Order: sequence, then C-alpha cells, then structure tokens
Amino acid sequence: MSAPFFPMFSQTMYVIVSLLLGFFFGFFLERAGFSSAKKLTAQFYFKDFSVLKVMFTAIVVTMLGVAYLAAAGWLDMSQVYVPLTFLWPQIAGGLLLGAGFIIGGY
Amino acid sequence: MDFLTIPAVPEPLTFEQTEAMAQRQIKKHHVAIILLHWFNATVWLTELATGAALISSPHFRIAPLWYIAIVQGFFGSRAHMLWFHIAVGITWICVFAVYGTFGFRTYLAREVLEREIALDWDDFVWLIVRTLRILGKSDDPLPPQGIYNAGQKLFALMVYAMIPIVMLTGVVMAFHLGGTTLVAWAVVLHFVAVGMVFSGLMIHVYMGAVFPEEKAAFFSMITGMVNELYAYRHHFKWWKEVKMQEREWKQEIEGSGGKVGPDGGNAPTPATGGSAEDTTTRKGGTGGIFRRIFRKPEYWPPYVAGVGLGITLLMTFILMGQGLGASGGFTRYLVALLSWVAPDYVARNPYWSEYAQPGQSPLMSFLVFELIGVVAGGFVSGWLAHRLRISVDKGPRISARSRYVLALVGGVLTGYGARLARGCTSGLALSGGAVLSAGAWAFMMAVFAAGFIGAYFVRRSWI
Repeated sequence: MSAPFFPMFSQTMYVIVSLLLGFFFGFFLERAGFSSAKKLTAQFYFKDFSVLKVMFTAIVVTMLGVAYLAAAGWLDMSQVYVPLTFLWPQIAGGLLLGAGFIIGGY
Repeated sequence: MDFLTIPAVPEPLTFEQTEAMAQRQIKKHHVAIILLHWFNATVWLTELATGAALISSPHFRIAPLWYIAIVQGFFGSRAHMLWFHIAVGITWICVFAVYGTFGFRTYLAREVLEREIALDWDDFVWLIVRTLRILGKSDDPLPPQGIYNAGQKLFALMVYAMIPIVMLTGVVMAFHLGGTTLVAWAVVLHFVAVGMVFSGLMIHVYMGAVFPEEKAAFFSMITGMVNELYAYRHHFKWWKEVKMQEREWKQEIEGSGGKVGPDGGNAPTPATGGSAEDTTTRKGGTGGIFRRIFRKPEYWPPYVAGVGLGITLLMTFILMGQGLGASGGFTRYLVALLSWVAPDYVARNPYWSEYAQPGQSPLMSFLVFELIGVVAGGFVSGWLAHRLRISVDKGPRISARSRYVLALVGGVLTGYGARLARGCTSGLALSGGAVLSAGAWAFMMAVFAAGFIGAYFVRRSWI
C-alpha cells in the first residue's frame, strides 16, 4: 500500500482531509507574514526576503521528502500530478503574474 | 508564616513546621479538572469493559468467553453493545472537543503543555534515580518535582499521544470512513493505542488507589486540595511556586516589601513598581510555551514557517497526489457559478467545459475545499497572534483609493497570468517547483523577473 492515499478515501474523508490540509496551508502562510501585501512586495525593493526564504525552504523540504519517499518506494510518482511544461505560455503567464503581483500587492 | 525565606531546595523541616504544614491545605486541582478526570475514568471503564467483550475474533480475543457472554447478555445483543460502545466514544470525543475549545487557554495550554508533559532536566534525573531506587541500587535523594512528577508526565505524554489515535481510529471504524484497507488498519491501531494507554493506566490506578505514599494525590482528585506537607515532600518546585505567589499577593495587599526572591530572598526588594513588573514578567514566563509560539504578534522566523509549509505540502503530495494551489480552486468556483447561470455556454466553451464534466460537480475537487481551509487557517493564525484587523496595506505616499484601483488592475493581470501558465505561485511555482516541473521553474523566474522590474514603476505604492 503506497502513497498517494486519496484513492482509498471516501467522499467525506476526501473533503475532511482537503479542509485540514488547506487549514495548515493558510496557517503557515499567515505565520510567515504572507497576509501582508507590504511584506510580500518588500522583497522587490530588497528590504525583506522572508517570502523567498519561506518559499524556498518549503520547496526544499518537500523536494527532499518526495525524493526520499519515491526512492524508498512509498510514494508512487506515477500517481502524483506533476504540472506539465508549456514553456512560452508559462513564461508569459509568469511575467503577467509578476507584474500583477507588484502592481496589486497580490 | 513558618518560613521566613522560601528555601531554594528542600530542607529538613522542624517538628513544628511539619505539624503546621500537615494541617494546611493548598489547592491542586480546579473543579473542572476533577469533573473531567472522573468523566474520563468512567468512559475508560465502560469502553474497556465493552471493548474487551466486542473483540470476538479468535485471533485477537483477550477476554474469556464467559465474560463476553455476560456483557453481551447485559446488553441483549452484540449490536446493542457495539452501539453503546460507539455512543459512549462519541460522547467522549464531544466532551473533549467542547472542553478543548472553551478551556483551551486555561486548561490545555497551561495545564497540559506546561505542567503535565514538559519534561525538564530534573525530571530525567528523577526517572533515573527512581528506577535505581526501585532496583535498590541507589539511595540518592530524588530531585525536586513540579506539580506532576516525571512518571506522571511520561504517562500523560503517552496518553496525549495515544488519545487522538484512539479517537480517530474509532471514528473511522464506526462510520467506515475510507476503504476496507483503511478500516483494517484502524482496527489494529485502535488496539495498539488502547493497549499502550491500558498498560500505563494499570500503574496510574495502582499509584492512585493503592500506593500509600500517594494517598494525598488520590484525595486531591475528590476535594481538589492537598496538604502542604505532601506538596513540600513530593512536588517541591510546585510548592515553591505556590508560596512565592502567596507572598506576592500578600505583598500587593500590604504594599510593603517582604522577602521575595527565588534564591532565598536576601536581596532587598525594590519599590512596588518594580515588584509589579516582576509579577508580570513571571506571569509571562509561566504563560508559556504556547503563548510564546502562537500568541506573539511577530511573524515566525521565515525558515520555521518554511519548514511548516514544506511539511504541509509534502503531506498534500502523500495524501492527495497533488500539490497545494489557489487559482485552480477559484476557477472551479467560477465554473460552478457559470454552469448554474449559463450551462450551455459552459458546455460549448472548450476551457470551461473541461472542468464541468457531465454528472460531476466542478466543486468536487481538492482545491475547492482546500481554499476554505486556507481562509480558516489564516484567520485562526492571525486571530491567535492578535493580527486581525481591516486595513489597506500601502506605502505612505499613496491614497487608499489609488491602492484599490491598482489592486484591481494587479488582480486582473495576476488572474490572467495564472490561468495562462496553468497555475499560480502556489499551484505552479511552489508545488510544481518541488516536484521539479521544468515549466514551474521557468514560471518562477518570470514572476520574479517581472516583479523586480515592475517594482521600480510602482514604487510609490509601497515605499
């Protein structure tokens, strides 16, 4: 029995797990200060790099976890959704989002 | 007062002191704790009694057949017994949920985190010395203990670790949540967790009800009080805490300098202003771990929050087989709204129709529920840290009205960009980046590039 576990969930369980994961997501984002537009945009003025630090710490933790679990055979990577690459649309989208980010404060 | 100065370590007592202290009572348990304790004891008794009789499989059976027959006979049938077991269990969960919600600050944060399970250095020494003494290999005195001794703390630690497992697995079994595999695992986990608690419970009951030295502890669970001599001998650090507090109160009432000091109190006491400050700092100190971690208005250090976020993201991959996201969830809300207003349009539109498969609600998706959780989680976090307020986040050189307009413009760009790239900073950059999607990294670079360049043009908004 290897992860991901969602195929085993009943519909109720699926909803509960989703809500819980979302709860922790929101909790840690707020803890990091991502609820403040000023803090989010401060990195673009070289004032406060916590957004970058938080984001890359999270990426590294997850990356290592996923890599180890997959190597140990506990996580079936064929069942995990990896975003597909569409290079130019994603670069264009990234530029638009980045511009929107700094203009709107996300 | 029989102590002129409060000793820093337990000292031998004079006969008069012993007599006086044996007479005086100090409060150990709040009435809510006492009620909860006996409620808990009743629940464990009935659940263990019916639980043992419910295990009928010959591989696992622990109770003799005649016992099962008696208990089953008492309830009439196995189904009734099971129903009773589940009903009591759910009542138990509900009581703890209510208690945990409303008594969180007073009991759970204070009582549990600080006094019941936080093992300190003295406790480790205590555990070693105690073991050696039981084995007859040592005559060393036991180090002073807080309101609960190290043995009690260990028991509490195990119980607090096991109780959520017992509750969760119980619910999974009772309502058959998840597939057969999950229920099968829940059965095993339920047995193991209950077994662990039961083994500790034997010692707990023996100590409380039989062991002569701990008689006072047993009666304190009825009256709430213990005599001072017992507190001094068995829970010295707690006794000292109580005494210090008594002196502070006395001092505040009398308004004169008494002898307060953690190490004997020989230092001259400062003026009342100073002692008031002492009181508040001490309260802040005992207010504790929970407060320091969750209630401070400052944000967490980025690396700590990052690890928390990373673990959440990893759990999301393990449980749901996909990453966390935001824009995809919003898209689904929109599609749900659109297919309610104009279903034909949605069906004909190649982009929308992908989300609105016939016979399946566009809302039946991980991201849709996750977003609700995000709002709740962010709210709870902000509420705990006293950060809840309505404000317009902006630099000093721009009006709130302009910020609203710019926020709208930025929002349109962000939304369009996110859907063009098939993901936003959460769904694509963070989650995709973690599973090494090439497009996600290209996207991330583009976001930061545009951010740094654009920052120059809108600097009036922020600095």
